[in-house]
Amino acid sequence: MATFELYRRSTIGMCLTETLDDMVQNGTLSPELAFQVLVQFDKSMTEALDTKVKSKVSIKGHLHTYRFCDNVWTFILQDAMFKNEETQENVGRVKIVACDSKLLTQ
Amino acid sequence: MASSATSTIYTEVIEDVIDKVRDEFINNGGPGETVLSELQGLWEKKLMQAGVLSGPIVRSSANKQLVPGGLTPVHDLNVPYEGTEEYETPTAEILFPPTPLQTPMQTPLPGSARTPLPGNVQTPLPGSVDNSSMYNIPTGSSSDYPTPVSDAGGSTDVKAGRPSHFMQSPSPLMHQRPPLDVNVAYVEGRDEVDRGASHQTLTQDFFMSSGKRKRGDFAPKYNNGGFIPQQDGAVDSASEVSQGNNPHGRCDTITTKNREILARVSRSYVMKIPQVDGPIPDPYDDMLSTPNIYNYQGVANEDYNIASTPAPNDLQASTPAVVSQNDDVDDDDDEPLNEDDDDDEDLDGVDQGEELNTQHLILAQFDKVTRTKSRWKCTLKDGVMHINNRDILFNKATGEFEF
Repeated sequence: MATFELYRRSTIGMCLTETLDDMVQNGTLSPELAFQVLVQFDKSMTEALDTKVKSKVSIKGHLHTYRFCDNVWTFILQDAMFKNEETQENVGRVKIVACDSKLLTQ
Repeated sequence: MASSATSTIYTEVIEDVIDKVRDEFINNGGPGETVLSELQGLWEKKLMQAGVLSGPIVRSSANKQLVPGGLTPVHDLNVPYEGTEEYETPTAEILFPPTPLQTPMQTPLPGSARTPLPGNVQTPLPGSVDNSSMYNIPTGSSSDYPTPVSDAGGSTDVKAGRPSHFMQSPSPLMHQRPPLDVNVAYVEGRDEVDRGASHQTLTQDFFMSSGKRKRGDFAPKYNNGGFIPQQDGAVDSASEVSQGNNPHGRCDTITTKNREILARVSRSYVMKIPQVDGPIPDPYDDMLSTPNIYNYQGVANEDYNIASTPAPNDLQASTPAVVSQNDDVDDDDDEPLNEDDDDDEDLDGVDQGEELNTQHLILAQFDKVTRTKSRWKCTLKDGVMHINNRDILFNKATGEFEF
């Protein structure tokens, strides 16, 4: 199953990466094993988002920058507004990084 | 709130990951269940510190995890943070007796096959801040990760090299990026600017004789001449010009320090130059003699002011007056292309620099992105948003942006 490493940049991914880094640094963990954990995280995270998350969000804002490179869209929004069922959040500047969903199904 | 839903899902992800790597930890001489629990404990702790996991949920999940693991893990879970140093060092020794022996050897190792290892694993960490742009590209990162593994090959080697790499990696990584070739390019440019600036008078004389004669023909020819150096960068023509006037030898040996000095010197020259140029009635000659230099500065001026590169700024600051004289001239066609390329990168860098400060990030997959005039619409799915210090997950998202 194809996965994205994209989500490693999320909070949960960063925390895992830091943890693995620490443990590899002090010799508790071998780099390969750490790598395997990361790969497993890619899978688990992608799967969880796909199957367990149901919420919808709408995003509006001023598009400051757009970029499409290597099948990755990057948007930088200004004065963006996020709405989901429960809340609304306003953000002065937000970056969106999106991989092509079709790549996963291939 | 959304955060509790997020927290639940994060917990599930953690459990899923831990469950599925358990085999790897226990079998094949893996570090064992204890280390696995430690990993989970640290991970959850960090998430709680980040305010993403709510405490109680984590604990319950942790307990679930602990049940199969037995009692021992409980200690690890409770200890993790303070315990790391005391606890792990002995563990490491027990598990990997060779480690202490090899520690001294680590320094030489990283140089060769090792370098990729730390770099990859750590990229996400420092990278999250610095290399975010690099990280955007999944292709790149995905290729990065596999490489080390294959390189690593024997586990023993890796273990040996492990600690040192990881210590070292951050600095090489950090250093690798900024210096790049970009600086070299600028250095060259700078040198030439210096040369050009300082020896401008000579240059002018040199060219005026030939330039005045064929002015009409010469300009296009010169453009061609400027074209040829494209291989070497537009700058070449400038350096040729200066070669004739001797400074070239000097410039070759210029070190960074010298450059700075030169820059200062040239600046002082530059200050005089406008005076020298002033009396010369024909701006055309100026342009002929040092077209590239002027163009370079001209283009550079606009962009560098935005960019944060310190050195070029100095130079530019000193030359604006000269540049303004040549605004009308348009043989820049070739040069600007090259420099724009660089500058774009530079601007990107700056942009990213700004993005660094942006704590708000959305990671997702896109289904569709369309644009009608300045209205962009996109549908995203399976996303993680980190906004206003909260993590929000979504299954679907629709975006409408105005460019």
